[in-house]
Amino acid sequence: MERPEDAAGPRLLLAGDEDAVMASSQPGEDAGEIVLEGIAVSPGIAIGPAYLYTRITFEVEERRLSDEEVAEEIERFERAVARSERDLNKIILITREKLGEDSADIFEAQLLMLRDEALYEAVVDYIRREKRNAEYAVRHVMEKHRRLMETSGSEYLRERAHDLLDVEERIIRHLRRGKLLSSIDPHSIVVAENLTAADVVLFSRRGVLGCALDYGGPTSHVSIMARALGVPAVVSLHSVTEHVSTGDRLILDGIRGRVIINPTEETLAAYEVSRERYRRLLQEEKQLVPLPAETLDGHRVRLLANLELNEELGQLSEYGAEGVGLVRTEMLFLIRGSIEISEDTQYEVYRKIVQAMRPGVTTFRVFDLGGDKLLPMAHREHNPFLGWRGIRVLLDRPELLIPQLRAILRAGTHGPVRILLPMVTNLDELRAVRAQLKESVRDLIEEGYENISELPLGVMVEVPSVALQAEHFAREADFFSIGTNDLTQYVLAVDRGNDLVADLYQELHPAMLMLIRQTVTAAHNHGISVSLCGELAANPHAVPILLGLGIDELSASPVYLPGIKRVIRVMKKSEGEMLARQALEAETAREIRENLERWLEEHSCGVTYLVEGTPRR
Amino acid sequence: MIVCEVTVTNRAGLHTRPASMIVRTASKFKSDFWIQKDGYEINGKSIIGVMTLAAEQGAKLTLVFEGEDEKEACEAMKELFEKGFGEVT
Repeated sequence: MERPEDAAGPRLLLAGDEDAVMASSQPGEDAGEIVLEGIAVSPGIAIGPAYLYTRITFEVEERRLSDEEVAEEIERFERAVARSERDLNKIILITREKLGEDSADIFEAQLLMLRDEALYEAVVDYIRREKRNAEYAVRHVMEKHRRLMETSGSEYLRERAHDLLDVEERIIRHLRRGKLLSSIDPHSIVVAENLTAADVVLFSRRGVLGCALDYGGPTSHVSIMARALGVPAVVSLHSVTEHVSTGDRLILDGIRGRVIINPTEETLAAYEVSRERYRRLLQEEKQLVPLPAETLDGHRVRLLANLELNEELGQLSEYGAEGVGLVRTEMLFLIRGSIEISEDTQYEVYRKIVQAMRPGVTTFRVFDLGGDKLLPMAHREHNPFLGWRGIRVLLDRPELLIPQLRAILRAGTHGPVRILLPMVTNLDELRAVRAQLKESVRDLIEEGYENISELPLGVMVEVPSVALQAEHFAREADFFSIGTNDLTQYVLAVDRGNDLVADLYQELHPAMLMLIRQTVTAAHNHGISVSLCGELAANPHAVPILLGLGIDELSASPVYLPGIKRVIRVMKKSEGEMLARQALEAETAREIRENLERWLEEHSCGVTYLVEGTPRR
Repeated sequence: MIVCEVTVTNRAGLHTRPASMIVRTASKFKSDFWIQKDGYEINGKSIIGVMTLAAEQGAKLTLVFEGEDEKEACEAMKELFEKGFGEVT
């Protein structure tokens, strides 16, 4: 058989290197080296000193200013107040949407406190008169008022003192932010419990090499932002901040999702090689962008992009997306601060995406709210993943569903558009949305909108019942999209965020493959297409099996598309089918993985090391 | 200068939301605005000030306006109190 390596460029990895990396990447401690496993959310390899970015306790230092420094210090204070105002405005929007108008009032009041004459003028006055630094002035002035409230006879006022403290800490945090940032070595890897999307933007501008976080998941704002900005990131490391001190030498492997603290010389040397190879790989993959995603035996697969932020629109063509397989509409609006946003505003957002993507298709998934994303603290569900989320929320809240359907239908006049329903469990839900969709089409036409047509309506296959009833769903849905992240959790009853059972989260479990196969068979029987949009799609490792199972479209974050294409272009569909047959007969996920690894090694896809998903133990 | 008397009618008193409404309304006008209660006077454009009044339902307040648009400011403020800040009275 002809070796297909030429099609993908030179073979990048030698078995020996692989072993060198593997030998020293055993999880746990080895000669002072600590390896932590997390979730890779933005690919790349970074090597550099750690910068531990933690919430510092608000010990405020007192500093005397020279006469010349006073004006600048007042400006610094003004900037910090302006930033705090922006923060609060954002918080108000989010709070109003999640908790209602009444809860947002607290923050409205905080906003007024920020600009309160009694405080603002007093702080400026203090800086000018006493020539002290802004932090010290803020603390001094606000403490006085806080004390007054804390010692008052009114319980109400005592409680409000907390609000004042909140405002005070917010200003001080912003006063320090500038300083903090300038103290970070641009060639360091930021280690933190968690970051905001705004932090990532700042760090990226500063040129940091990567981010390693205790918390977060693939669809957290911070992860999306890191991906959009090309900052390698590993999240959900749980205890990285406990293990790392500023200055420690770190390796951040944003491909396999691990962080190595104080690596041995061998590990370091191996990773330096990998980093260089990854860089070359990226350059080569760029050349694949204009080429079709076609197997050696001529089978075409559609490569689509998952889109979370408008900022990613520019990446669509850069990475060769043929369409958008998943617009996570809820993200667009969570970022804006409100999902109760008018039909017209939604239409404008959707239209821009459609126009950027046409003639390729754009798939809008209606708001997938609830679960981990939406419900306010006060109404936390005991078991959100089995609770009120996805289409369940929308069918209960037509004031959310109807404007969104109308906005998407209107955007559909600008290019090919599909509508996708999340968290569908039974046929009634699909039918209810279909009825609403028809009604919205009628209404829009009556209102005089032109070229409105009933768009294809698809179902996310993420609840096992849908995969099991795929024949029935295929008769009524216009396409399927398999969401492997949730499907895996539901099929295997594993919460991947739970360390105790995370090992059991196996996207390539034989049971998963059986459901995927059943879904594809039903879909193709009824002439509809199947797309796969979970993290599994972003893993080039899984591509041969997925193609073999008959998946028509793969949808992943744009940066992953060239890597997927590389594998597609060096394999035959028939080989994938053989692998899939073997996998379906396998008894364990491990058996499937080993078989895949063997195949990938034989085929020298250049991804063997780079996409190694689970560490060899 | 205009001086007028108002009574807090809403059940919850001048808590955060009404206090915000007072300050925001007052800030729309150029006139200075003070609130007096039990011989204690605060700047009505300062939320901290209004909150420290700790005025409960039934409390009687004296409002003092001074400036070019004092009449309009007074009318707007009186209306706010009369409507009980749109809350349960």
